Amino acid sequence: MSSLPMIPELLRQLMRKPATNLFPAKYLPPSVTEFLQSVASGKAHLTPPVETPPRFRGKIEYQRDGCIGCGLCVKVCPSHAIELLPETKRIRIWVDQCIFCSQCTDICPKGGLHMTDAFLLATEDRYEENLIVE
Amino acid sequence: MIGSWELAFIVLSAIIVTIYGIVVGLFLLGVDRKLAAHMQARVGPPIRQPFIDFRKLLIKENVIPENAIPWIFNLAPVMSLASSIVILLYLPIGSIYPPLGAYGDLILVMYLLTIPALCMVAGGFASGSPYASVGAQREMVTMIAYEFPLAIVVVAVAWRLAAAGIQDPFTLGSIAAYPLWSVAGPLGIIGGLLLLLVMAAVTPAELSRIPFDTQEAETELAGGLLVEYSGKNLAMFYLSQGVKTLVMAAIAVAVFIPWNLSSIVTLPEGVALVADLLFFLGKVILVMFFSVSLVRVAMARFQINRVVSVFWMYLGLIGLVGLLLLMADAALPAAGVLA
Amino acid sequence: MSEGSGRKAPYIIPIGPTHPALKEPVMFTFEMEGEMIKEVDFAPGQAHRGIEWMGMRRNPVQIVHLTDRICGICGVSHTFAFARAVEQIAEIEVPERADYIRALIAEFERIQSHLLWAGVAAHELGFDSLLHLTWRVREQSMDVIENLTGNRVNYGIIQVGGVRRDIVPEQHQVIEDCLNAYEGVISKLLELFLDDRSIALRCRDVGVLSHREALELCTVGPTARASGVNVDLRQDYPYSAYGDLDVRTILPDQYAGETRGDVYDRIVVRLLEVGQSCGIIRQCLDAMPAGEVTAEPKIAKLLAICKKASGEAIGRVEAPRGECFHYVRMEAQEAPHSWKVKASSYSNLMSWIPMLRGEQIADIPIIVASIDPCLSCTDRVAVIRGQRRDILSKEELHRLSVEATRRLQV
Repeated sequence: MSSLPMIPELLRQLMRKPATNLFPAKYLPPSVTEFLQSVASGKAHLTPPVETPPRFRGKIEYQRDGCIGCGLCVKVCPSHAIELLPETKRIRIWVDQCIFCSQCTDICPKGGLHMTDAFLLATEDRYEENLIVE
Repeated sequence: MIGSWELAFIVLSAIIVTIYGIVVGLFLLGVDRKLAAHMQARVGPPIRQPFIDFRKLLIKENVIPENAIPWIFNLAPVMSLASSIVILLYLPIGSIYPPLGAYGDLILVMYLLTIPALCMVAGGFASGSPYASVGAQREMVTMIAYEFPLAIVVVAVAWRLAAAGIQDPFTLGSIAAYPLWSVAGPLGIIGGLLLLLVMAAVTPAELSRIPFDTQEAETELAGGLLVEYSGKNLAMFYLSQGVKTLVMAAIAVAVFIPWNLSSIVTLPEGVALVADLLFFLGKVILVMFFSVSLVRVAMARFQINRVVSVFWMYLGLIGLVGLLLLMADAALPAAGVLA
Repeated sequence: MSEGSGRKAPYIIPIGPTHPALKEPVMFTFEMEGEMIKEVDFAPGQAHRGIEWMGMRRNPVQIVHLTDRICGICGVSHTFAFARAVEQIAEIEVPERADYIRALIAEFERIQSHLLWAGVAAHELGFDSLLHLTWRVREQSMDVIENLTGNRVNYGIIQVGGVRRDIVPEQHQVIEDCLNAYEGVISKLLELFLDDRSIALRCRDVGVLSHREALELCTVGPTARASGVNVDLRQDYPYSAYGDLDVRTILPDQYAGETRGDVYDRIVVRLLEVGQSCGIIRQCLDAMPAGEVTAEPKIAKLLAICKKASGEAIGRVEAPRGECFHYVRMEAQEAPHSWKVKASSYSNLMSWIPMLRGEQIADIPIIVASIDPCLSCTDRVAVIRGQRRDILSKEELHRLSVEATRRLQV
């Protein structure tokens, strides 16, 4: 087998467990919504995703109260995802457009912006309530 | 020649064999995918996935390209499936004697085996796509390449049986009833093992699997022969792929491991039939694992000229050595007695 | 059927712009004779995204995140080159520790990029098991990168003036574990790729690029090195921390004792570079001085510095695929006056022609993949005027580029 070194490797692997993390379930459920409902009611088990590292950049979090409306975050956002609302002097973040670079959290003089570890943000509606942070 | 009762029996068994062939064929494809996935440290699709795929293909649109020759293009998949099923009628399944066993032998099976491949060639040329044309040319070359070693295997086994004085050595009935290993001596057994190796190499070529899948070669020809096929036509080719897998494994089983469970252990009549069928399925999966699943995940694809040189030079040579060993074995009757 | 029977007349096989053999869009036209390639032509430029156009409307702090997204694989190389260009213009002195962190991340990127390539190459050969195995190994470096930078793909670690995150002592262990794992697995990978008969049959003496051709076509990176050309920016032009580190060009004869310039040699060079990168990361960890990681921690102040700067500069970095080159010109405005990116694949694309000529159809995927083309890096021109999209002919493009040069000269 020296000319086909893969064969022993494959046979060994056949006996081992696959490397895949079975998120959210072993096989694709026929309906994801129904699957999530049955998970909520405790009938099905959901395998959790791989853990995120400590300084992961996920969905942004905005502390409205500390904000002074300086607009620096708007200035550095590469994807123009942050909007300064002139009437309230507060910002609105369109997460749909956010590229998770965390530049706004670096520049915020009040430390009012944070990255959370939420990353399961896929949806069919780009303007969903979940995807607009204000 | 054929009585009406016999005709009715053949038609009925043909229907049963068709259903059996399709179901087991798709099941084998599922097992193959699962085994390959586990060897690659993946979970892989569920074993019923080929059934799901088949259903999906049936509800998809059947596109016929503008510059295709429609009648050949549409006929090829049906002919391919039909001819693969016909081969099954000549092959023993478990302890069940083949329904058409009395009307054809291994030589006929060898001829029939070329028909699905020829259908694919015809369908490929009729597609009117340069990818399919290249694929069809490669399929023809591959076919010419592997027919020679396959013929050596068939002839060598039958010749050894004939030398042992067995009647009708080419019929699958006799081959299954007198396994090569029980007839041949030590030399013959070595020869038989070499022939088994050749058979194991011919199987992936016949099924156009890696390393001999040059005619479909996903990364080169984007599916080659099948590139223009979709919907029902592709579903037919998919089914025939499953049935062909069963056929190739069943030929290897019939020629090289023909024993049945009922001939080893005594079992009550009804149980014996089921047990033999399951045992047969086990043997088929075993053959498929070693000659299809393992090979296709453990090697890179060959170039087409390499396919020809592998079959004509290396495997042809191995087959001839096997044949010579079997001849030598027959020429030394003492060895046979010793065994 | 006419194409099959007409043996004599060459027939045309188009491959692309989308084809399973190509991971990114490019259009090939092959003139075939039977299974043999007689002549080949290709047309890149199918993946325009207008990133430079976007960059000329943004400030350097924003552009850094655009450069991250020029390429999904060598994200840090583009950012590195761009940041170095801007730093030269604005005369920003990068702290030494930041240089080391930049080099360390760049080497991790090289590891994951080369492993990714090795997997793709295996897939092109129809060897999917090796693809799955290599990518499983690659995952470890991705995990470390995620741990260090906060993201697996668009790292966002480099900022003009330094890096955005320090490597804390707890992370040393994570890096150490990964390096140990790699040093154990590299010999295994070398065995699986280079001792395998079925791979050697497909790669030896396939897609040969001679030393002379490699020089004449100005190839860069592993493509050039596999043909025996001794070029490596880290050795020839030691930027950032590389001046302090021991980096020697890897050439295929160090493994096989000879240089043939074929696909096999390209595998050799890339796999050996994975091992080399592990060594460089170790050197970085040992030699990394303490101190600040950025010249200007206040981003608002950095913006002001960049706004005042004027001048032009070039940033050069050895990306996994070869030299990556950024030209930036700033004229005391928020956005740069001009910004031009020359990705490494741009220099390597022309080497396809001599490699492919005379080979078989079956070899097209592996030869095309063997230079590790990154077309989304290379293609960057889009002309959109209002709602109308224009396709420009060669003459028009030539005229426009002459005009653009004139504008720059004024």
